[in-house]
Amino acid sequence: MIMKPELDKNILIFLLSAIGLIVFPHIYHIPIAIFSFFCLLLSWRFIGVWQKKWLPGKLIIFLLFVCGIALLYSRHQGLFGRDAGTNLFITALGLKLLEIKKERDLYLISYLAFIVAASQFLYEQSILMAAYILLVCCVLLAMLVSINSYKMQIFAAFKTSVIIIVQALPIAVALFILFPRIEAPKWLLFNEQRQARTGLSDSMEPGSISDLRLSDELVFRVKFAGAIPPQRQRYWRGPVLSYTDGKHWTQANFQKPLVKPVVTGASYQYTLLMEPQDKNWVFALDMPKEFSAPLTLNAGYQLITSESPDKRAEYKVTSYAGYNTGSINRSEYQTATQLPGEPSDKIKQLVGQLHGFDSGPDNFINQLLKHFRVEDFHYTLTPPMMEENPIESFLFKTRYGFCSHYASAFVYLMRVAHIPARVVTGYQGGELNKVGDFLEIRQADAHAWAEVWLEKRGWVRVDPTAAIAPERIEREINIDRQTAYSIVAANNYLLRPAYNWLKQARQLWSNVDYNWQRWVINYDNKSQSNFLSSFGINDIKTMIYWMIAVIASITAVLCWFLLYQKPKSTDKVLLIYNRFCKKLAKHGLLRGAGEGVKDFAERVKIKLPEQATGIDQITAVFIKLRYERVATGEDLQQLKTLVGLFRI
Amino acid sequence: MQNAINQLLDSANKVILGKPRQVRLALCCLLARGHLLIEDIPGVGKTTLAHTLAKLLGLNYQRIQFTSDILPADIIGASVFDAKNHEFKFHPGPVFNQMVLADEINRATPKAQSALLEAMEEHQVTVEGKTYPLPQPFFVIATQNPSHQIGTFPLPESQLDRFLMRIELGYPDHQAERQLLIGQSRHSLCESLPVKLPPAQLQRIQQAVNEVHVSSALLDYCQGIINFTRDSSEYHCGLSPRAGLALLTAAKAWAFMDQRDAVIPEDLQAVLAAVAGHRLRAGNTQSEAIVAPILANVAVH
Repeated sequence: MIMKPELDKNILIFLLSAIGLIVFPHIYHIPIAIFSFFCLLLSWRFIGVWQKKWLPGKLIIFLLFVCGIALLYSRHQGLFGRDAGTNLFITALGLKLLEIKKERDLYLISYLAFIVAASQFLYEQSILMAAYILLVCCVLLAMLVSINSYKMQIFAAFKTSVIIIVQALPIAVALFILFPRIEAPKWLLFNEQRQARTGLSDSMEPGSISDLRLSDELVFRVKFAGAIPPQRQRYWRGPVLSYTDGKHWTQANFQKPLVKPVVTGASYQYTLLMEPQDKNWVFALDMPKEFSAPLTLNAGYQLITSESPDKRAEYKVTSYAGYNTGSINRSEYQTATQLPGEPSDKIKQLVGQLHGFDSGPDNFINQLLKHFRVEDFHYTLTPPMMEENPIESFLFKTRYGFCSHYASAFVYLMRVAHIPARVVTGYQGGELNKVGDFLEIRQADAHAWAEVWLEKRGWVRVDPTAAIAPERIEREINIDRQTAYSIVAANNYLLRPAYNWLKQARQLWSNVDYNWQRWVINYDNKSQSNFLSSFGINDIKTMIYWMIAVIASITAVLCWFLLYQKPKSTDKVLLIYNRFCKKLAKHGLLRGAGEGVKDFAERVKIKLPEQATGIDQITAVFIKLRYERVATGEDLQQLKTLVGLFRI
Repeated sequence: MQNAINQLLDSANKVILGKPRQVRLALCCLLARGHLLIEDIPGVGKTTLAHTLAKLLGLNYQRIQFTSDILPADIIGASVFDAKNHEFKFHPGPVFNQMVLADEINRATPKAQSALLEAMEEHQVTVEGKTYPLPQPFFVIATQNPSHQIGTFPLPESQLDRFLMRIELGYPDHQAERQLLIGQSRHSLCESLPVKLPPAQLQRIQQAVNEVHVSSALLDYCQGIINFTRDSSEYHCGLSPRAGLALLTAAKAWAFMDQRDAVIPEDLQAVLAAVAGHRLRAGNTQSEAIVAPILANVAVH
């Protein structure tokens, strides 16, 4: 280490930038007050690089320290837990920045910075974050390399740090696979703040889904064990809304013993990978039949998980395309025919006209769907506002709407005709990721449809949106999304290739992310023991032995590589001559390290008198090529031929 | 030219019996424009070698016998008052000759030694503010007794460095000694020697030696040797850059004598003991042993 009388300005700038990069993503996780406090300290230090006298003295540092402690205490009332711990490290890092005096302080700060970098993973484990942390660690390492270099050379320092990281990778992988995994104690996480996430709401007011519809956010992924059901059967069931006050639709509060549906038809086995969300809903394909804890089926045939939904979670479910839910009880019947008040004459007249109150419910359903189809109804994502009597205005005045409008109007009219009906919300369709062969369901796939109870058949799904906009349901291309991005409206032919390319890139990325989640993040103690037992490693003792053995062998290989790496000769002349030496070596004639070729030739000729001419020729040409002023390509060719022909 | 060199060597070997390698090295040193130091006990033919070379090269030759009371003026000359012309006149000393034999140089005091050594380095002599150039070519062959003998002032390392080579003669072998004992006196043999390589031709050869090719592979080997002496714990201090240049110059002359126009590693190895021995370990006369670790360990490139 070179002792410097004064710390290098460039090193300081390097260090401060690296620390800025490391702390930056914490802006999403730590209280804004603490983040601002840290920024203040960092900028102060930055100014101090040029204006030395502006750096705080001991007293001010002490006051800042007290401020930091007060700030921490006001936010967390303690030092335990993930958030408090992270904030403590960040504050300490900021304060330490103001008292860099010796090189020792630089080392201390870098180690603190490594801890803060690692703390990012307590909040986010995405592949992008991992890449970012690796990058900033690289910057930090380059800084450490620079401290110990004779001269500051940024590019060389980065190269060295990349080499260090690459050399460390095998050890990191071995540790990742073999290091015993311990479940994080709950106290580490108990005081974390819940973050609001977007998702389906548990009530519906036609129009309330419209913002979701445009969101491209991923909700869940599905990997099917066998065939993937066709698009028009892919209804991912969410909350069932039965109660309405004319404007809002909400879940009804009734307790009902669950009647297990009788399932028939094709079965689909699949794995759901839910993204973090707010509610503990799990969106299964209609109708889920086989599933394991922590999942339960509620009265609306919706899957509910008892686990915390703010982590990515994986569930295995089997669904059946055909089902019969059987009869309903009185309270359910009442809820399913509940109306906010006496329907208006106009509506009664419409129902009478379509239904006549005497034909069967099947007939009415068909008539109503036909009505939607034949009459001047339109499917749009930007319907006009309907504040008063939304259903009536929709049916007779505006006639522009999307799935919630059609579903709610449909259910309302059914109820007027005394047919039990309800609104089901959830997701419909999903896009197939061709790279990973799984479905991706995004917020834009949110949907609302209707369910009608029919004698002997139970609850039957009817999707009025399919009648008015069949392409919304049946086509693989999500028309909503395309309309939302105005791709349909814009010139189709020009934009399609770009759109397809974008789509492919997104699918590829999504696949990488999916596998990262499956193989890296979800690699917990359970999957670790499963994975290792397939190699015959069953208990923790064997695991630790394996870990030590693997790491020791990797280290040994790296040491050998670093110590015995000889620069390989690339000189053509030498390579050819070495072939000649190898031929002689087979007969025990080894050239000494300090032996000139001529001396060697003399020595060999005594042992092999009949080869004297060949040896002399080779030696002469070699000397000409290697030591003399003029040598040509022909000489090289001649050497090659002579060595090739040389036989003992 | 090579012919002349070989004839010269033949003639010399008839006088200096059983020492072809030493004779060859001595000539190589002269062709490389270097000064030669012969170190050995009295009576093994040091003076005869110098005398023989001077004769064969047709150089005017002067011997200076160094003693402990010799003064610088005895070597380089002095100004003497000329009464007739009423002025001081410089009388050149024995150093103003093409070949000077400094016999038993380590018997003289350091002051006298350095007078000669300055002349060797500068190729000129300055007396009372006036500079007198020495004749061309100018060679010094110095002999010295091993420093453990009584009444010697060993040459310091810095002055040993002025000599391109140091060679040891050693006792002749049995057969050579027998021939020596029955043959003519060496002195009369020397006197009757013809000139084999006149000074003009010598200068041409010296010019040609300069132009012998040195490839980068050979420079690698040369640097390998120099670095080895610097890194190895065998030697108190490694070879200086000047020593490196000396090594290369000597190797060029050796290659020329071997009728080649490019230096090969064997040339370096041949002259290494003579060139590097006295620079690595001054007090030790076993040059071959001194450089043996170098030859064994430094890989030929």
